[in-house]
Amino acid sequence: MAKKIRTILKVQAPAGKATAAPPVGPALGQHGINIMEFIKAFNERTASQAGYVVPAEITVFEDRSFSFVTKAPLAAALLKRAAGVEAGSAQPNREKVGRVTQAQLREIAETKMADLNANDVDHAMRIIAGTARSMGIEVVA
Amino acid sequence: MARWLELTVEANVEAVEAVSEIFGRLGRGAAVRPTRLIRDPRDELAVREDPSAPYLVTAHVPDDGDSAAALEATERALWHLQAFGLGPVGALHVSSVEDSGWEAAWKAGYTPQRIGRVVIVPSWLDEPIADGEVELRLDPGMAFGTGLHPTTRGCLALLQRVDPMPSPILDVGCGSGILALAALRLGARRAICYDTDPLAVATTGANAAANALADRLEARRGTLPAVPAERVRLVMANLVAAVLVELAERLAVHCRRGGTLIASGIIAERGEEVGSALRAAGFVERDRLEDGDWLTLGLERT
Repeated sequence: MAKKIRTILKVQAPAGKATAAPPVGPALGQHGINIMEFIKAFNERTASQAGYVVPAEITVFEDRSFSFVTKAPLAAALLKRAAGVEAGSAQPNREKVGRVTQAQLREIAETKMADLNANDVDHAMRIIAGTARSMGIEVVA
Repeated sequence: MARWLELTVEANVEAVEAVSEIFGRLGRGAAVRPTRLIRDPRDELAVREDPSAPYLVTAHVPDDGDSAAALEATERALWHLQAFGLGPVGALHVSSVEDSGWEAAWKAGYTPQRIGRVVIVPSWLDEPIADGEVELRLDPGMAFGTGLHPTTRGCLALLQRVDPMPSPILDVGCGSGILALAALRLGARRAICYDTDPLAVATTGANAAANALADRLEARRGTLPAVPAERVRLVMANLVAAVLVELAERLAVHCRRGGTLIASGIIAERGEEVGSALRAAGFVERDRLEDGDWLTLGLERT
């Protein structure tokens, strides 16, 4: 049956471990979406990505049915992996916790390109570089 | 009942990932919602985010003794963002919300729906069914067709004008299976359903089982075949305008002369285009329902 779209929303939840607690419950609940059906399907689809927070893009149809696709891990997770750090810096302007190269930045930008609404790879790289700096991760040549 | 602090920030598209990372430090992930969508008036399915409009990023922390420190750290991190060349980020808004049991709260807006004689009842409710009414047990989920959309309601209304109910019947683009299941409840002995979405095929099968109709319904994955195995006296096709135009001739091939096609999913401004394609394929319009922006047509195969 063809679907008539009401809205689009995204939630970021732990792979294989989403629950009805925030952010999933309130985000989906306000649209009258069957939360438990989403959780079951999300956990099944993401079981192999344990340890990552996985974004899901949910399309809500006008009759409150829905579909969703899972996206690439958050840029922050990819940056931490590339820089080999556990967490970002609480004082990113002063305390640097790691570094990534332009090549790594490009790779992450290409992975995330479809999710960023960026105009091109250069724009996506600029977004990822800003995210890196906000975490105290330096971008080097 | 637990209380939560709900944190919301309006962010430019470039800052959404960075804000999500900051909210992620609170340990529970975040939700992101575009504030504006771009719709193509010529294509009901073409909806995309408008990246020039801000996004709302939301996260929650338990409202307990640690929340003040978490808020302060979040505010500081958001303030730092301004220095890193990303688009603008608005002020942090904080409100207190009660955990009203989100797992069950989404059900609050659902009540049994009566469309003529057909009563759609969610599985967690009991509803008295009057003489002459037929009950469908159906939960909203990941397949279109909950009974809440004008196109589904239009099809169910026109279905009840088909007398006598023929058999078998064909449901093209079955979604949740709601139309085929209603036809079975209204007297059809057998239903054949098609959907290109495997999830819809599985959902239709599950809904047929939940209504004890599985032995009378066959759900097939794919589009309507060019050559029918058997021609039927009733075809239901709640699709969209472009697909109805594309499938018009095929729908006609599957429908016996004198049989009925119920066609919906037609946005009003494309009504003439769809009507013209169906007329060219051999159908004559006999009935029409309009509900908001949507048309449902009842047609006879000549």
